[in-house]
Order: sequence, then C-alpha cells, then structure tokens
Amino acid sequence: MEVTSGDVWLLAQGAAVSLILALASISLGTLLALLLTGLAFVRFAPLRYLYQLYIFLIRGTPVLVQALLVFYSMATFWGQISPYTAGAIVLTIYVSALFAEVFRGGVLAIPLSLWDSAKSLGLPRLAVLRKVVLPLASRYSLPPYLNVCVMAVKASSVLSIISVWELTFAAREIIERTLAVFQVLCFAAAFYCVMCFAMDRAGRHFERRLMAKGFAEERL
Amino acid sequence: MGLYSGWISAYGFSYLQAAGWTLAIASVSALCAILWGAILLFMRIMTQPWGGSWLVDAYVQLFRNTPVLLPIYLIYFGFPLIGFVWPAVVCGGLALILQNGAYVSEILRGGFKAIDSVQFDAAKSIGLSPWKTFEKVTLPQVLTYSIPALGNQVVLLLKDTSLLSAITVVELTMQAKVLTERTGAAYQPFVISALLYLVLVLICELLFRLLHRRVRWR
Repeated sequence: MEVTSGDVWLLAQGAAVSLILALASISLGTLLALLLTGLAFVRFAPLRYLYQLYIFLIRGTPVLVQALLVFYSMATFWGQISPYTAGAIVLTIYVSALFAEVFRGGVLAIPLSLWDSAKSLGLPRLAVLRKVVLPLASRYSLPPYLNVCVMAVKASSVLSIISVWELTFAAREIIERTLAVFQVLCFAAAFYCVMCFAMDRAGRHFERRLMAKGFAEERL
Repeated sequence: MGLYSGWISAYGFSYLQAAGWTLAIASVSALCAILWGAILLFMRIMTQPWGGSWLVDAYVQLFRNTPVLLPIYLIYFGFPLIGFVWPAVVCGGLALILQNGAYVSEILRGGFKAIDSVQFDAAKSIGLSPWKTFEKVTLPQVLTYSIPALGNQVVLLLKDTSLLSAITVVELTMQAKVLTERTGAAYQPFVISALLYLVLVLICELLFRLLHRRVRWR
C-alpha cells in the first residue's frame, strides 16, 4: 500500500504531540532543575548528597525503564493514569536532572574573583544571586541547555513504548498498515530533524541577541 | 524486602542472563561505534581538500537530530523487505553503531581540532613518516582529549540498549517486562533492572576513568 498525504498529516499530528510533550517537560524541568541546583549548593551536606543521589539515579538508568516504572507503579499506587501524564512526568524528571547539571556547571564556571569582588562590594546574598550568579550562570549554561532541549525531543520518542501516541508511535502504526518502512521513517526522521533544528536555531538566535547586548560570548 | 529476596532466588538467573546480553550488546556496539566514528572522521579529513566532507556532515547531522528508535525500526522492519533477514540483536546493534558512530566522530573531531597544527609541521621536520606521526603525535593526544567524552557516550549507548526491548531482544528491560506479565508484580521487576543498569553504568564509568589515567600518564 502507498503512503498517502493523509498518512503524512498523521505524522505531522504526531510531531505536534512530540513537540508539546517536549516543550512541557522542558519548561517544568527547568523549574525543577532550578530548585535542584539550589539544593546542590546548600551548606547542609546531606541535602547535597540527596542531590547527587537524584542525579545518579536518573542519569544512570535508561529513560525507558523509568517510563515503565512510573507507568506501572502509578497504576498500582495511584490508580489508572493516562500514558500522557506518565510520559510527561518521566520526561520532566529526566530533563530536570540534565538541566540541573547544566546549571550547576554554569554556576561553577563563574570565576572565583567575581565572587570575591561581589563580597568586597558588600552585596547582600540576594543581590549576589540576582546581579552576579543568575546573569552569568545563564550565559554559561545556554549552549549545553540547548543540547538538552534537543535531547528532550529525541527522548520523547521512547514514550511511544508506553503507548503515548506521538511521532514514533504514529510512524509505527502507519508502517504496520502500509509496510512502507523506508518512506514512513524518512518522513518521521525529517519531522524530528526539523523540530530539533528549529529548536537549536531558535536558541542560537536568542544567544546572538544576548551577544549583541554584550551578554554572551562568541561561540566557536 | 522479603518479596525481593524471593524474586532473586526465583528469577536471579534470568536477570543475570539478561544483564549479560545487555553487557554484550553494549560492549560490542561500543567498540564498533568507536571504530565507525574513527572511520567517519578519517573520511571527513581525507575528503576535505576536494569538498566532500559535507557528506559526512550530513550523516552526522541526520543521526544527531533523530531518536535512536528510528534507525532501530528502519533496520528491523525495513531490511527484511530488501532481502536482509537478520536476528533482532544484529539489527538493533547495527542501529546503535550507526547512531553512536556519528556522535563518536564529533567527539574525536573535537580532540583532533585541539591539537596545535604546529605539531604536524614539527613532526614533518624531524622526518616522521605519516604513520609514525599518527601513532606518536595524533593518536595519544586525541585519546587523552576525548576519552572522558567517549566514556559518557558509551554510558548513553549502554542505556540505549534498553530500546532493543521494542524489537523483541531479551535484555534487562525486556526481562523486566516479561516478568511483570508473568507474575503480575507491577514495578518490582523494573526496580531490579534499574539497579542492574546502575551497576553496569558504574562499572563502565570506572573503566573509562582507569583508561583515562593510563593514557594520561604515558
């Protein structure tokens, strides 16, 4: 059977679902990651260990296992939940761990002398956070942040296995109906490429605007 | 906890077997992916003078911007249509190699670019042959620069082997899925699989740390 324009439209709808899932988890994950980064720098050591444990557990296990774990255990402890909710939760948790490491790296990249000068100016702690740490750390972490955003789009494909209907699921569905493996997967790959490229371009555009204001440094 | 100890005595062996498969697939694919990445970089450098490097570039961009599941499905469902009927493990492994090779070639390229080009002039001026230059100048430095990043990539590959469960390979994730269906336990099998993945990841990280130390002190 041939691949029709209706099938391509289905793939486009799947791509939209993937994008929405990715964007939702990126925004929620960023918020969660900000809290986590705060946790990484507290004085109280056990909380720092908790942060490290979180990062280790999330980064050390495959997203698929996390997805299956959340999907099945939620069904036991919570009652039936939709795979979309489970998928969004898993993706948010996964992305938050990656973002937290990115932000932590951004804070650590601030030169020591700047901390000292902030202190010697007698800035209160909140002002140091607002005027020094946030602007600088966000500049340093923007390029790796964009990489993680692209990873989020790609990781959303894994959710097809817990029956979230998105681009990969749609592709598989159409393949099972038409057997046109190569055509369908080429279309799906094109959709993924466009989404990832668009995200990367948008991020770089944003970065360039920051650069024009003297905020970000030239990227090699 | 009693539940888990009962589990381990009942299904411990099948878990070990599945972990063995995961480890085997990951290590073979990792070795091949590093080799394939090196070949890609070599092709890129060789074709640069006559402007053919865009081909490798296109390959790398294509694989970097699509999820691993697509090549896995492409090879598993597509290759039988054109007459290559391979076992699922081979299909999945090949997809992992193709995808991770693209990443590896970029990592190695970063390491290669970090070498000051003056060194190649110096190597030439003391009369080193191209092969000797590669062996004594290029390779050790590229390895020193890129081994930590390669380690990260291999950990990612190890985790990506879980996706082969989608094409019927019985590795750790599939084993857990089978056990949930057989026993009706909702999440315990996945917890055990996750712990085994953590152990494998730790071993992998340790291995690369040792390797890095070895290369650095030479």
